[in-house]
Amino acid sequence: MSARLDVRIIARLPAFTLDVTWTAGDGVAVLFGPSGAGKTLTLACLAGLLRPDAGRIVVGDRVLFDAAAGIDVPPQARRVGYVFQGYALFPHLSVADNVAFGLRDAPRAQRTDKTRDVLRRLGLAELADRRPQELSGGQQQRVALARALAIDPTLLLLDEPLSALDAPLRRALRDELRTILRDWGTAAVLVTHDFTEAYRIGDRIVVYDAGRVVQSAPRAELLWRPASESVARIMGIRNVLHGTVVKATADRIQIRWRGQLLEAVNSPTRSYLPPPESPIAFFIRPEYVRLIRKDRGAADPSHHMNLMDGVIVGEEDFGTTWSLRVRLSEAGEPAQGDHDLEVEVPHLVYEILEIDRDRHWQFSIHRGSIHVLPA
Amino acid sequence: MTPETVSALALSLRVAVLATTLNALVGVPLAYLLARRRFRGRALVDLLVTLPLVLPPTVTGYYLIVLLGRRGWLGAPLYAATGWTIAFTWYAAVIAATVMALPLLVRTARAAIESVDRDLEKAAYTLGRSEWRTALEVTLPLARKGIIAGLVLAFARALGEFGATLMLAGNIPGKTQTVPLAIYTAVSTGEQTAALALVAMLTVLSCVVLVAAGRLGARAA
Repeated sequence: MSARLDVRIIARLPAFTLDVTWTAGDGVAVLFGPSGAGKTLTLACLAGLLRPDAGRIVVGDRVLFDAAAGIDVPPQARRVGYVFQGYALFPHLSVADNVAFGLRDAPRAQRTDKTRDVLRRLGLAELADRRPQELSGGQQQRVALARALAIDPTLLLLDEPLSALDAPLRRALRDELRTILRDWGTAAVLVTHDFTEAYRIGDRIVVYDAGRVVQSAPRAELLWRPASESVARIMGIRNVLHGTVVKATADRIQIRWRGQLLEAVNSPTRSYLPPPESPIAFFIRPEYVRLIRKDRGAADPSHHMNLMDGVIVGEEDFGTTWSLRVRLSEAGEPAQGDHDLEVEVPHLVYEILEIDRDRHWQFSIHRGSIHVLPA
Repeated sequence: MTPETVSALALSLRVAVLATTLNALVGVPLAYLLARRRFRGRALVDLLVTLPLVLPPTVTGYYLIVLLGRRGWLGAPLYAATGWTIAFTWYAAVIAATVMALPLLVRTARAAIESVDRDLEKAAYTLGRSEWRTALEVTLPLARKGIIAGLVLAFARALGEFGATLMLAGNIPGKTQTVPLAIYTAVSTGEQTAALALVAMLTVLSCVVLVAAGRLGARAA
């Protein structure tokens, strides 16, 4: 993947400063983070609708903005397609006229052909003569996408393209959007605050927080190796915990936590060697905590790593899974309010093990499922 | 109908139509600039445009004399150059009506322009439209209901203008005497029948304008 997008933006606004640097290759880059982190502002800078105070924006081999060189290509000349959060369809124009809006300079015949082609490819041919107000949210979203794609953009920007839709439609359109973006092959930047959306659609995820980039990584790397505790929290990772380092080597880290001695895998590519007795943050995905079956004899510590005892003190039904709040059988204040660990089990497991009747369990966590968060 | 009545009515219509046209040409761009641009002196322009709405019409008329009278800031050089002065001509009635009607159009049109979603304009920019083309193709068409309403108000105001017109254009029958001035003259000289005829005509005319504007507005919606 070549670096298609090279972004460095410093924009000082009243009461907010955006200061971000990231690059992305072909495919979809997702700007992910909480509301107010500066994601939409970044899109405005990429589209030329807001002029940064400093920095440089390069798409492919085109310099769109370079403060030092005095380059600032106006939005009209950038050929950057923008799908706005509320879609911003022209209410006084038909679907076809909306899509043709960016093709004004082309000869009439070519304009008509292009419009028809784009409408057909996005399954909108039937709706060509309708007004935007007569369409469903999902259809409006596709028209906005069609209008932005019709200009053959060198870069496509999408601001929370799914947030205006209801949940079931959102899921369907998320995958549809991914397919369209792959098919079209246009480099795209998508803004979202929903991690599932970011992960499903993005090739690369750039995590924003308070006007800065806290991590930029391919999606799988981000999922398994968030760069810091704050990234983990922004991603909504559960069971982010704090312990003390006992011993760190290139491939293992021993952590003392709530009276337990936990063993975690140290990243072979990103060895992190904190000194003994230093504080350390780590997380355990709730779906990776194992419950030890009682009908198979006593648990074998040599087989079950990081074995601990606990009581279920609360539970929530999420439809397909149960989320259990577990308190360890250990004196002292629990790590997360009333509990130490959140454990997620599928409904089937919950029923087979009759968890509703039996609240006392042994838990085990594979060392590969304890993820250390560098400070 | 006396010849004076007919000429007053014709003059009033001509003044109102011309004042409304001038309002459209000056007021709509002004409303756009006030709604969308940040420029030096914006607050001052806003104040000057709005002032005739709150000042007594005679005070506005007085300022117009100071500006355009034979010895006025603009009027004196004009008189020196051409030997002609705008004061006490029917043009003066047009100017007075235009200035008095302008705040009504600008305020209404500006509110309508401000209510147009800015993302629509930004979308047009990314699709290659200049600000000028975007205003013509997106912003103004979407604000047309408010602009039409503003023009109707401006027309009605121009038709009924009295104070500033009297100050700058005078009350010369057959020359600068509009219907409102003719009504005043008729009543003050005891010509009740003439006054009643003019009042009735102005009332009917205003009603026609309102109904027509309502139709236009409904079609634009």
